[in-house]
Amino acid sequence: MDFSNVEIGLATAFSAWNILYCLIGVFLGTAIGVLPGLGPVATISMLLPITFGLEPETALIMLAGIYYGAQYGGSTTAILVNLPGESASVVTAIDGYQLARKGQAGKALATAAIGSFVAGTIATLLIALFAPPLADMALEFGPPEYFSLIVLGLVASVVLAHGSLLHAFGMIGVGLLLGLVGIDVNSGASRYTFEFPQLTDGINFVVVAMGLFGIGEIIANLDRSSERTLLAKKITDLMPSLADLREMFGPVMRGTALGSLLGILPGGGAMLSSFASYALEKKLSNRPQDFGHGALAGVAGPESANNAGAQTSFIPMLTLGIPSNPVMALMIGALIVHGIQPGPSVMNEQPALFWGVIISMWIGNVMLLVLNLPLIGLWVKMVSLPYNLLYPTILVFCSIGVFSLNNAEFDIYLMALFGALGYLLRKFDCEPAPLLLGFILGPMMEEYLRRTLLLSAGDPAVFVTRPISLAMLVVAALLLATVFAPFIVKKREEAFQE
Amino acid sequence: MKLAKIAALVGVAVLSIGPAAAYPDRPVTIVVPFPAGGATDTTARLMGGKMQELLGQPVVIDNKPGATGAVGATGVAQAKPDGYTLMVASIGTYAVNPFLQKGLKYDPQKDFDLITVAVRTPNVLVANPNFPVNSVGELVEYMKKNPGKVSFASSGSGSSDHLTAALFMQRTGTNGVHIPYKGGAPAIADLIGGHVNVSFQNLGAIINHVKAGKLKALAVSSEARVPLMPDLPTLGEAGFKEVVVYSWQGAAAPKGLPADVRAKVNEAAVGALNSPDVKTKFNELGFEVVANSNEEFAKFLGDELARWKQVIADGNITAE
Repeated sequence: MDFSNVEIGLATAFSAWNILYCLIGVFLGTAIGVLPGLGPVATISMLLPITFGLEPETALIMLAGIYYGAQYGGSTTAILVNLPGESASVVTAIDGYQLARKGQAGKALATAAIGSFVAGTIATLLIALFAPPLADMALEFGPPEYFSLIVLGLVASVVLAHGSLLHAFGMIGVGLLLGLVGIDVNSGASRYTFEFPQLTDGINFVVVAMGLFGIGEIIANLDRSSERTLLAKKITDLMPSLADLREMFGPVMRGTALGSLLGILPGGGAMLSSFASYALEKKLSNRPQDFGHGALAGVAGPESANNAGAQTSFIPMLTLGIPSNPVMALMIGALIVHGIQPGPSVMNEQPALFWGVIISMWIGNVMLLVLNLPLIGLWVKMVSLPYNLLYPTILVFCSIGVFSLNNAEFDIYLMALFGALGYLLRKFDCEPAPLLLGFILGPMMEEYLRRTLLLSAGDPAVFVTRPISLAMLVVAALLLATVFAPFIVKKREEAFQE
Repeated sequence: MKLAKIAALVGVAVLSIGPAAAYPDRPVTIVVPFPAGGATDTTARLMGGKMQELLGQPVVIDNKPGATGAVGATGVAQAKPDGYTLMVASIGTYAVNPFLQKGLKYDPQKDFDLITVAVRTPNVLVANPNFPVNSVGELVEYMKKNPGKVSFASSGSGSSDHLTAALFMQRTGTNGVHIPYKGGAPAIADLIGGHVNVSFQNLGAIINHVKAGKLKALAVSSEARVPLMPDLPTLGEAGFKEVVVYSWQGAAAPKGLPADVRAKVNEAAVGALNSPDVKTKFNELGFEVVANSNEEFAKFLGDELARWKQVIADGNITAE
């Protein structure tokens, strides 16, 4: 590694101007992350023209700050009001919201912030040390490997459900079907679009999540008249105790490792990382029954994984010019306008940009921790707002956020529809998290499966002849076995008793 | 006070009688039917930024993405033709959607006043460096020996690079496997990783990968060699003169602009595109500025529609 370039990067990142823009970025990011429905994609789209007047490294530092700041902010809303603004916080919402309902919102928020900080720091170090070889490694991942990875993710995530297994499978199925809406990547055929051009690109995740969680929850609460679900108990701990910190060390470290690894994969690895981490923690825990009812590890692990993944997903973009999500694609757009075509040469030709951005990410993570920890008290108070203030506010922000996705009112109607569906599902005791999982992973799984088969001329043997793919399928099979084994054993025990 | 009100009313009345004289007297919106940050968006922003100076009014970019531009274009087609709503859209929106999208609610030739083709960029035929061909001739030979074996990545069914590949195969009498992706980036990633063999991709998207040795360029689909890659032969030089293809962006307005407004919009758009700083920027990005007249755009669009209709029919590329 050439350290003179790192020096240039340090000088860039620590210039007063860039620190200011980094702060603006993470502050804006946190703010839009906290507001339900508003996400980094819409925000960065709106701010893109402003960055044209900035130096390219300053522009990217700010945009990156918005991106990972939004990851922090997003978990706040997921924990406090059960509103996951992006795929990663779906998992955080499960146990985070339960903790909040027990009056431990402060502890959950602090856990998320500390976990994210540790993960961000380690992942940034990883990028600085190993970015180029990691990026090359990620490209070894072809369609069959992605398919097997998603199968593994889907199987592992069955543990997301803490109620009826049948309901969970049903919900995954509904999610898969919803994910089919839109143009089929392979054939170009429209599926379930009913000739609405707005549906040809599929349904946006935010629309589904805001409808099912946000609107659905609001309707369900109106049902229960004056009884309050939030803050039913007094807020107890605002900060995690030493014992809590010790408890979260393992999950944070494992989440960071998982997130850093999966985040490198541009084909959707980062999305899987929080699901995978939750599954892993539940498997390793000696109190798996706590998961879904407010397990601290269920917040610490996925949050760390999510943040580590968010950081390492910069690797394919910075080293290869390959964006792993829409936010990265926007950042590439910003660089292109500055006349920089992101690609393998950026690291050597633009050391100020490459290293400046990487080092600024760590600065940004420090800022986020400093910014977020003192705010926890304030956030927690926000939840104690009376419903007749809180709900209209959530409704308005959800609508603004959903509108800003495509600047289309159509998406707001769609959200309303999903709100009604969310209410119905609650009545039937079906959880929305598995549905969202199917919605996210289903289309990806189909895409990679069909691409693999196109490339292998229809021969499915590739899944087991390629070692990485085989290994993941074996792990998935083992996991599936452990899920069903108890049923079989139990049946045999019953048989013996008779 | 009352007098002022009357004066204001009269003023408004005069303005609405003779809007052309005053055009533009308020901000102009350019609808981009694609997300922010993409090629069409960049084109609109670079052009719009300069038009703002030339028109003396703010030019606002409004991204309305969806269905390869069909959602935004439908909106523009139904907007008031007053010169305050313009659109910058791509080859897909203008020349491909009519053949692939069932129930399309706009007709690119009838529903718009075409302003100008803004920019164009050729597609480059690139291969994974380990793929055993080093020229177009060798590729054709290889494909003939291994029919249906060579995989062509594209950024989506019906995309400009997919159609270029289809045209290439039709003209060379070869066939390969089309592997569509969601956008150019994942296609390029799999190409670099060696999971697919070849692809036609926009010049700007692959130039750095070629320079870094991660991809190998075989030919370019332009009429003449491109300044950014002067050593790269054209497909014409390789013997396939019919395969001249550009991915392009064009500006349009709702049908029925008053003639003088239309002239003014064209003047501003063409002026913006031809201004030296904007031109340099486009060239750096691998785009070539076209900036022509309403009539030239109309004729060009007619040719493009006819050509892609044929390619789509011959290649059996249908949506249903």
